Amino acid sequence: MISIENLSVNYKSDSDVYTAISGINLTIPEGGTLAVIGPSGCGKSTLLKAIAGLIPEYEGTIKINGDEVNPKKQTIGFMPQNYGLLPWRTVIDNIRLGMKIKRAPELLDRKVLKKLMRQLGIEGLGHRYPTELSGGQQQRVALARVFALQPDVLLMDEPFSALDAITREEMQDIFLKLWQKNNVSTIFVTHYVEEALYLGQRIAILSASSGNINRIVDNPLFGGKDIRQNPEFFEMSLKLKNSIKKDWNQAWEN
Amino acid sequence: MGKLVSLWYLLAAVVLTIIWFIVSQLVDLPIIPSPVLVVENLADIFMKYIAIHSLYSLWRIGAGLLLAVAVGLPLGVIMGYFPQTDRFLAPVVYLTYPIPKIALLPILMLLFGVGELSKVFMIFLIIVFQVVVAVRDGIRAIPNETYYPLYSLGASFKDIFFEVLWPASLPKFITAIRVALATAISVLFFTETFGTQYGMGYFIMDAWLRVNYLEMYSGIVVLSLLGLILFTTIDLIERNACHWQYK
Ligand SMILES: Nc1ncnc2c1ncn2[C@@H]1O[C@H](COP(=O)(O)OP(=O)(O)OP(=O)(O)O)[C@@H](O)[C@H]1O
Ligand SMILES: [Mg+2]
Repeated sequence: MISIENLSVNYKSDSDVYTAISGINLTIPEGGTLAVIGPSGCGKSTLLKAIAGLIPEYEGTIKINGDEVNPKKQTIGFMPQNYGLLPWRTVIDNIRLGMKIKRAPELLDRKVLKKLMRQLGIEGLGHRYPTELSGGQQQRVALARVFALQPDVLLMDEPFSALDAITREEMQDIFLKLWQKNNVSTIFVTHYVEEALYLGQRIAILSASSGNINRIVDNPLFGGKDIRQNPEFFEMSLKLKNSIKKDWNQAWEN
Repeated sequence: MGKLVSLWYLLAAVVLTIIWFIVSQLVDLPIIPSPVLVVENLADIFMKYIAIHSLYSLWRIGAGLLLAVAVGLPLGVIMGYFPQTDRFLAPVVYLTYPIPKIALLPILMLLFGVGELSKVFMIFLIIVFQVVVAVRDGIRAIPNETYYPLYSLGASFKDIFFEVLWPASLPKFITAIRVALATAISVLFFTETFGTQYGMGYFIMDAWLRVNYLEMYSGIVVLSLLGLILFTTIDLIERNACHWQYK
């Protein structure tokens, strides 16, 4: 469970202070998923970084399972916008990195890792370096890395944005399967309404200018079978798109 | 290193020797002896006279290099990773970096005497600046995203150092040493011409003063082989430590 109350983040430079997000309230129930959607520069990455404990100075509270966020105490699986794989480590070492840092050798079970890599279709790539992988393969490695840790929360910043449409849908399915097995509370950022509808139990729409949440939509379609083929899915994504456009256009006009 | 690479080294050595041979035949003066005679002479006197000198030179280079790494690496890491320290240290480095280190030799000799210490310290001075700047720039070039997954797991500075800072700066660090080493060897040669009875610099200049050209050339060949050994060692280390770069 993640609960965020009145969260604000200011970026301070030598000359001025910039408020990236302000007054954010959110809760994600244990084992739930939340999609965060919003225009470029509205503070999506900032929100995620704050939850990941990467921004030491913020106002408000961020609690994970009841405790203030602390990377040393909780296990936070964070996947940055460009996957954050280490170019000087092989695929297998990249996957093991989290356990090494968490000093959690009990997670280093070869069989479990192997199974995870097989599920992700990267079992033959263990000894390659990230530069020798396609974008989709790097993505899979990054997923393996966070899931191998069995994190308390999973935070993903535009996880599938760099992939082509078909690979993206494939990866979304892979993610859903892993998520169902592991049931980890997840927040992910996206700028595709379809992705938000497919993977998010709830969808938080950030506003374009003020750095807070415009509204939160419950997603009745989440978890259904083959919902992408469903006419309701199509209808809902259209409706959502139009209302987001309206919100954001209004914001620009003000 | 592959067989092919060794083959190229062999070819280069053969070509250089042939050019040398032709020049020696054309000039036909004792100042350019034939390589055949030099090699014969080298085989005769290497163990007897030259080995000890090459060991002295090697030890001075090794000690200077080690000292430079021991000081330059931590300094570069600190300056690269903590921007606040760079603000104070960068001016110091930039003010002292461009001074030709050889110009400091008189001061070094007054401070440390004409013996070993000033020679080692000279090499240290030549290498250390390159190491500091290379490591710092290598670390500065790391994008923030690289750190995020580690920070979000609560990584300690030790983790950050071994997982990110060290591997990211290693290639630049090794290149810096390669570049600085060439200068260091030529300056070492110069410093070995006084204040000592040992070292390749002393051996070559001494042979020259005795007008023993064969010995002088033997010394030059050994010096160049010494350089070759040092550079190929660095290449080997780089290939082993940075193999992700060779994919
Ligand atoms: N380190 C920083 N220092 C100062 N300002 C920053 C910093 N990081 C981000 N910002 C500013 O904060 C705002 C929000 O940035 P953020 O990266 O969170 O946007 P985003 O919603 O993730 O955008 P995108 O969709 O393009 O990734 C932007 O206006 C950005 O310029
Ligand atoms: Mg972003």
